Amino acid sequence: MSIEVKDIHFSYGRIKALDGVDMELSEGAVGLLGPNGAGKSTLIRILLGFLIPQRGEGRIFDLDIKSQQSMIRRYIGYMPEDDCFIPGMDAVSFTSYLGELSGMPRQEAMKRAHEVLYYVGLEESRYRFLETYSSGMKQRLKLAQAIVHDPKLVFLDEPTSGLDPQGRKEILELIMDISSKKDIQVLISSHILSDIEQTCSYVVILDKGRVAAQGKISDLKQVSYSLYEIKIKGDVVLFQKQLQRIKGKVEETVEGVMKVFIPPDQDPGVIFRIASQNNFQIRHFVKSQASLEDLFADTVGVE
Amino acid sequence: MSIKEQGYTHWDGELAPGRFPWKPITRYGIKLTFKRKFFKPFFFMTLLPAVVFLAGIFISERIQDFEFMIKGSSTPFTVNPGYFYTYFTSVLFMIVLILVFAGSGLISDDLKHNALQLYFSRPLKKKDFFTGKVAVIVFFLFIITLVPGLILFIMKLVFSGSFQFVRSFPWLPLSIIGFSVFITGFFACYALFLSALSKNRRYVSIMIFGLYIFSDILFGIFYGIFRKPYFCLLSIKANLQQVGKLIFSQKPLYDVSPWYSILVLCLFCFLAVLFLSHKVRGVEIVK
Repeated sequence: MSIEVKDIHFSYGRIKALDGVDMELSEGAVGLLGPNGAGKSTLIRILLGFLIPQRGEGRIFDLDIKSQQSMIRRYIGYMPEDDCFIPGMDAVSFTSYLGELSGMPRQEAMKRAHEVLYYVGLEESRYRFLETYSSGMKQRLKLAQAIVHDPKLVFLDEPTSGLDPQGRKEILELIMDISSKKDIQVLISSHILSDIEQTCSYVVILDKGRVAAQGKISDLKQVSYSLYEIKIKGDVVLFQKQLQRIKGKVEETVEGVMKVFIPPDQDPGVIFRIASQNNFQIRHFVKSQASLEDLFADTVGVE
Repeated sequence: MSIKEQGYTHWDGELAPGRFPWKPITRYGIKLTFKRKFFKPFFFMTLLPAVVFLAGIFISERIQDFEFMIKGSSTPFTVNPGYFYTYFTSVLFMIVLILVFAGSGLISDDLKHNALQLYFSRPLKKKDFFTGKVAVIVFFLFIITLVPGLILFIMKLVFSGSFQFVRSFPWLPLSIIGFSVFITGFFACYALFLSALSKNRRYVSIMIFGLYIFSDILFGIFYGIFRKPYFCLLSIKANLQQVGKLIFSQKPLYDVSPWYSILVLCLFCFLAVLFLSHKVRGVEIVK
């Protein structure tokens, strides 16, 4: 296991940010999902050693997160959510500086800085002052500094925030490239579900400081419920009430099409039986593929 | 801007923490300070007092060559520990100006641009971070305190052509080193503390300069009203002068024990360190 945390608790004063988080992550790209205030950033900060958990324990690459922070930080890269840079520096100096702080020899750090800046697509502007960079360039630069020392694990905190669609697509491509072909494990914290769905195969959903669900996205989608898209003619409200009696859930989408969530232990024929008993006509019935958004809404209980 | 065809390649080197992980912080800190507008000419200007005092030593040793200038007075001044003390206290104001350039942005820039999380996500401890920042100040302040102090001492021996001066004041090199270290240590805490107070380096510059001047003015006002020398403890400059007098075995400038000044300045440094260790961390916690 590369990351293993057990019963992690952390509070900011009276506010509980993490309330007994257990998590085991191995290789690949992992998405950390959760609504605002769920504890995603706090968890990343604890893993980085910025915050010390009040209870619980954790290990990264078999190193203790409380007592071996320095060693852990040699193996990890961190791309923060906020804009962060050092004024007066160009991208090459900045990246090589952070490489040196990671323990790289000076010349190696400089050479490597050129390489990673080229990799993230900043080769033409690598001698420009960072103050003149656009949001997209700053995101790329943050990614470059996170991977300059060739870490085994990279924490990406909202990597696509503030990017236009093209920039977002390019950053996601880079993340996928890093995580799928380069033996680097990536932990992405994001509230953009499609980003996680696109880049990760494994997901941890946090809610109110607890792990609400974790596992392979494909597995989670299947075990939680069966999803059908249907269109009926009749009293929709009554139909919804009837479904609720069997612990089903209805979500209305465009043009009268409803997403119907049926518990895994229920036969889909129950929908037809309800329709028959109440004289509804089913005019459209398709088994649908649940999206991460559906899974998230189902797990966290938000619309 | 497209992603280039060249893929990501692993680095085959070995990460070694090194004996001085703070060295890059110092190197880049010094480099960025020299890049600041007007800093280079100003910095060289701060070396002028050293040149003047060096000329003073030369003149005092070759007094017969300059008789036509001094007209009657056989010894316009003598080079003794007091002479070195005068050099150090004459550069105090220069030191404050250097701090405005070199010290104001050391932490405030990192706070403003959220750079602390970049430092602390590396295998860097707080003490490494502070050592790196302090070393920037040490570099600049030693150049105008310790280095000229020792050079003046050596040049005194060279110009006099004997070791009589060393025999008379064998402790003087230690005093020079001691006072340089004391001044530098105090001003390092002073600059870093003020730099951590604001995210705006301009405000910090004003505070570095203003607090030094204001504390002296405050002392002047209270001393003028109450005529109590103890008010010298309010002034940064007066406290440093008192400490200088003690280290160079001179009579105190004010009728107050210099140990009180040492206490006041050390207390300031202690509080500054406490504040800094609380303020500077990888993540800002808002409770």
